[in-house]
Amino acid sequence: MLRLGGSATPAREVAPSASPPSETAPRRPRLFDARLLVLLAVVAVGSRGLVAQFFDSSAVQFWSTLFVSIVIQALPFLVLGVLVSGAIAALVPPGWLAGALPERDVLAVPAAGLAGAALPGCECASVPIAARLRASGVSPAAAFAFMLAAPAINPVVLVSTAVAFPGRPQMVAARFLASLVTSVVVGLIWSRVGREAWVTRAYSRLVQGESRWASFTETARQDFLQAGGWLVVGAMAAATLQVAVPRSLLDQLAGDPLLAALCLGVLAVALAICSEADAFVAASLRQFSLSALLVFLVVGPVVDVKLVAMQTGVFGRRFAARFAPLTFAVAVASALLVGRWLL
Amino acid sequence: MLLLVGAIALWLGLSDAALAYVRAALRLPLAASGLVLLVLGLVALLWRPAGEMASHGHGHGEDGPRSAWLLMLPVVVLLLVTPPALGAYAASRQAPGSDGGSVGDFPPLPEPVDGVVPLLVNDFVSRALYDRQRSLEGERVRLFGFVVPDKGGGQEYQLARFSLFCCAADAQAYTVVVRGDAVPRQADQWLLVEGRWLPEPVADKLAPSTKSPVLITDSVTTVGPPADPYEHGLYGF
Repeated sequence: MLRLGGSATPAREVAPSASPPSETAPRRPRLFDARLLVLLAVVAVGSRGLVAQFFDSSAVQFWSTLFVSIVIQALPFLVLGVLVSGAIAALVPPGWLAGALPERDVLAVPAAGLAGAALPGCECASVPIAARLRASGVSPAAAFAFMLAAPAINPVVLVSTAVAFPGRPQMVAARFLASLVTSVVVGLIWSRVGREAWVTRAYSRLVQGESRWASFTETARQDFLQAGGWLVVGAMAAATLQVAVPRSLLDQLAGDPLLAALCLGVLAVALAICSEADAFVAASLRQFSLSALLVFLVVGPVVDVKLVAMQTGVFGRRFAARFAPLTFAVAVASALLVGRWLL
Repeated sequence: MLLLVGAIALWLGLSDAALAYVRAALRLPLAASGLVLLVLGLVALLWRPAGEMASHGHGHGEDGPRSAWLLMLPVVVLLLVTPPALGAYAASRQAPGSDGGSVGDFPPLPEPVDGVVPLLVNDFVSRALYDRQRSLEGERVRLFGFVVPDKGGGQEYQLARFSLFCCAADAQAYTVVVRGDAVPRQADQWLLVEGRWLPEPVADKLAPSTKSPVLITDSVTTVGPPADPYEHGLYGF
């Protein structure tokens, strides 16, 4: 199958032509980094008064608190994700993971989705891992299914959902089912319709012969730098949306069931709350029906501004522009259907 | 870059500074990830001569370092601005009448200390709004929170505290209307308020309440802000 070559070739093609002229290039960014940092620090300290004044407004402070909180909260999970990604790159023989999954997507995708239950943590960890899985030969559809399922069906999330909705175990079952269905359906749709050309960035396979330790640390470092910057973008967007949209708006929209579901879906995208905590936020939105809340819980871990930003950074804009709406639509539909049946 | 972020994460994990943004349980993972980042950064610094790998990067060399600059942003904001914990501004943006916590029966009130029962604001609000047993009736309680001035500029103010489960992005404010305090209070002033609940009919657990409960107070003490401004434990978490 071309799949194995498909994801690795674009990166490999660029690398050989890039290495001779960039022999010295790796050195430059290093010096560039240090001097610029020093300059930045001096400017920052000097303009502290000015900056502090700008940030004096309550709204801006509120925004800053949210922004910084989202980044701080996500950081440990991102680090976990890149460590796992580095470990996969360094320790798992290429192709082993692809071989461990069934050959056909129809079976591989659900298997990968279920495997998502093994990775506890927020969405930020799953993006670099999925990219690494893809680079090591796992079919893209299966890797994406894993990426969607892991933040939504892991034990921590399920436990927090059970605690947030005491006496309503059907919420936990519904969340698990709807999320799994979402990840599998999106994966299967992608395996039919998705094209490699849409993924304009890819993790490259590292050169053989490097020591395992070196390949592990370098991979983890690169993955962190790539995904981390985009996490910041997502956090800024989420903070801005939270500041711009007052919570009281929700009260007016709770009436109509379909509108409520859609509105909560959009809210889940905008708020970018990590999947361990969104059950509690949902539980507090008492004016909404359980089905509408289920939409909130299913959409949140699979598509939100933080995730879309990270996917853009790791897989490319063309990918994110197609993947995000697809995921949103499937998640809403799946949550509504499962909600109808179970809740 | 990694060294900077790693060092900050480590510092945040080891100090109380992070408590303004995330819950305390996150401190250890934060410190651990800080350590990991520092190690990764040091390794890259010392082993840079293995420059072969950098050129393979991710297909496009600049993409890694370029978007990584964005990581400076939260560092800059954190160090320069030190964003405050969520306070009166954020609390006043929320609709009044916080929603209660657990749907099940409430455990018995904690034992009074010197005749006063200290309660978390979120606990007080949930009981006031939803407790069928009306455990608050007749009890003298002490609440600790910050002031949210009345929007209309009236004499009453609200005492609030945010409960958060993960980070400030999911924080919810629980507010209590305080009556009987003649002293004008500033926004975000932290107070210890003692008093009794003004009994009201208890709402149905599944129907949201749109009013905040009222506390009639006779003793108010000003205090400094706490190390951890947020409440937890509403769901036993």
